[in-house]
Amino acid sequence: MEQQARVQEFLRAFHALKAEVQKVIVGHDEIITHVLGGLFAGGHALLEGVPGLGKTLLIKTLAEGLELSFSRIQFTPDLMPADIIGTNMIVEDVAGRKHFQFQKGPIFAHILLADEVNRATPKTQSALLEGMQEGAATVSGTAHPLPAPFFVLATQNPIEMEGTYPLPEAQLDRFLFKLRVKYPALEELNEIIDRTTRPRDAQVRRVMTGQAVLAYRELVREVPVAAHVRELASLIVMATHPRWEHAPEPARRFIRYGASPRGAQALILGAKVRALADGRYNVSAEDLRAMALPALRHRIILNFEGEAEGVDVDDLVGQALESAEGQSLRGREVFFR
Amino acid sequence: MRAETAGLERLVSLIARQVRRRRAEYYALRGAFFGALAGCVPLLLKEVLGTSAPFLALGLTCLGAVAGVLVGLSLRLPTVEAARLIDRAFGLQDRVATALEWSQRSDRSPLVDALVADALARVEGLDGRGVVPRRRPREAKLLPVPLLLGLVLTLAPPLPLPSGTLPDFSRPADEAEAPAERAGTLLSDERPKGGKREPLQRAELMERDLMARQGGASQNLAGDLAALFKDTSLGSYRPDFASFLKKGDERLRMLEQVDRLPDLQRDFTQSQYKMVFQKMKALAGGLRPDQISPEKLRELLAEMERMGRKGGNWGGEAWEGMEALEMGQTDRALEAMERALSKMRAMEERNRSGRTLRGGRDDQRQGGRGRDRGGVGPGEFDQDFGEGEGSLPGTGRGAHPKGDPSRRLQANPYDVGVEGEARSGRREGFDTNMLGRGANVPSRLQYLGVYSQYRKMMEEALAQEKVPRDYQAQVKEYFQALEER
Repeated sequence: MEQQARVQEFLRAFHALKAEVQKVIVGHDEIITHVLGGLFAGGHALLEGVPGLGKTLLIKTLAEGLELSFSRIQFTPDLMPADIIGTNMIVEDVAGRKHFQFQKGPIFAHILLADEVNRATPKTQSALLEGMQEGAATVSGTAHPLPAPFFVLATQNPIEMEGTYPLPEAQLDRFLFKLRVKYPALEELNEIIDRTTRPRDAQVRRVMTGQAVLAYRELVREVPVAAHVRELASLIVMATHPRWEHAPEPARRFIRYGASPRGAQALILGAKVRALADGRYNVSAEDLRAMALPALRHRIILNFEGEAEGVDVDDLVGQALESAEGQSLRGREVFFR
Repeated sequence: MRAETAGLERLVSLIARQVRRRRAEYYALRGAFFGALAGCVPLLLKEVLGTSAPFLALGLTCLGAVAGVLVGLSLRLPTVEAARLIDRAFGLQDRVATALEWSQRSDRSPLVDALVADALARVEGLDGRGVVPRRRPREAKLLPVPLLLGLVLTLAPPLPLPSGTLPDFSRPADEAEAPAERAGTLLSDERPKGGKREPLQRAELMERDLMARQGGASQNLAGDLAALFKDTSLGSYRPDFASFLKKGDERLRMLEQVDRLPDLQRDFTQSQYKMVFQKMKALAGGLRPDQISPEKLRELLAEMERMGRKGGNWGGEAWEGMEALEMGQTDRALEAMERALSKMRAMEERNRSGRTLRGGRDDQRQGGRGRDRGGVGPGEFDQDFGEGEGSLPGTGRGAHPKGDPSRRLQANPYDVGVEGEARSGRREGFDTNMLGRGANVPSRLQYLGVYSQYRKMMEEALAQEKVPRDYQAQVKEYFQALEER
């Protein structure tokens, strides 16, 4: 069947791209899967981790595996919005007449690596907002469409907060996933030492075109979601809201603002990619469980008590998940309904 | 039933039948328990019901079970719930439920066909039997109890039912004199045969004659507590409840006079006017001029006159009042005292310093207004700051952008101390005294943890420019000082 062939092709391409990235990156299997999930879901991803864990290398390797343009912006406090978007320059034509010509900035690339995004001022960070949401950059009243697919991968460092500008909530919400890059395990560390301290022989092949990425994005959106699974996603998001009547106690106590509807969208889209990558044609509750953390952790804002107690948002998402599953069954088993 | 999903729907209906059957079993056991329990009642009444009692008990038990079966069968199970049961039972990750739901939708996506085919392929060959486990209610464990009880009651001889009538608690008037005869031997044996009760003494006979205790000549009896006061002045006192009530009335009247109640939040000794006013109110409150004591009035006027000599302008009025008092004109003396009080109050208001919300002192503003009236134009103090200037950082006249430090900052920096018990730890710290509910709940936040949290929040606030630039150094210094402590 044609649809089954499409899904099989996606599955093949997904795993081929992942294998290319894993030629360079050791471990981080889940992070790579989620980054690819963000790519095929049509969103953007924010990678958070201490220096030296391979965040930038992962993104660069991913860009190498795709036949797409790539640009990298190292965010610094003196970076200006025009340094990202571009600016109008006065140029002289052959007839000697002068006119303005738009010089495109580094944002005009398929894959944009915003390295250490929290080091730039909020003004500069917000220059990314329009591009991430609308796929266009407006300069002097003229909107310039960004190339498709447009995929922003940003990194930030959770320590060394001196002189940084934490991303505002509005911009955080634009990221489909926030991924926490953790330290590698002992075996992985050994492997990293082996790979990186000898002549590099790993050649990353380009296994996917931009057109293929766009086609896969369409395929992802066709994956059906059952009503009870959709309801579970909504319940998970609602359980992060402290004022919801069925919100779990920790959410009421420690959360100031819960996840936005974009959180529910991210949850479902991420779950669809995961289902396809697993060779399934439907989204299951298990997919939602797997995607809850990356899709929701950056959309929850702690209150003062939560900040003071040092509450981990991941724990709160886990409790919201448990509460939502309890709500989904409405407290009674099917047998007694 | 759609042809493409026929296989799925067949499995779903099989599971639904299983669920109904299990429900019927479940509720039948519960019904049988309650039926058997109810069946014990006719067995208890076997003496009355005769041989039909066991059949009645059996019938009730069966009726309960049948009712349970009917309840179990009547409960409906939605298709999607049955499909979810299949998904869970066979680990199909919601394939069957999604396929069944989307196959009936008009906006089905192209992937649905692939999904249905996939689900069919996976359920093919699955044995749907035994998917729904048998459940036993709590009552099933207890069912043998009423059954055994019923069996015992069936085999046992009929229980004798209590006969007779209930005792008559009503008591005729003519039997009141002879209770023993009416109650029979039982009551008369149990109760002690005491003599006739003495009638209760009337209240007037119990009143004590306190007059007999007056003076020291009266005889003291053992246990007489009043003897304690024999040689004291209290010994001759009689309790005067009328005076207590009278005093109570006076206190109630006092409560009604709100202005006479002391305001503990104010220090009246700081204000001459208020002090004298209070004294005057205490002297003349509620009395006519002819009822006021002339001596006390003279004393008050003399005090006012003394205060007037020290810098007040009400000395004349006080002197006038004293003269009127000499002539026996109390009302004129009171008028003079009120005038003196008015002057005293006016002077105090003039002397009151402090800035209002507009800024500047009262007398300065009044001066400005005076100049306004004179047509000179706005005075120097009518506006605290010039055009474009203000109390905001960097906009004042002073060279220092934050303005001059307040008086409190110049005061003793150690005016606030922390009292408490010294804490053990590598940093100096105290367990301070706490009141209220918080006293019973020790803090769960460690000082170092809290400090680092707050420091982080401070840094974020500075980074996000929530703190004005001119104040950032001050905020940093504050946290630095905390760290050093």
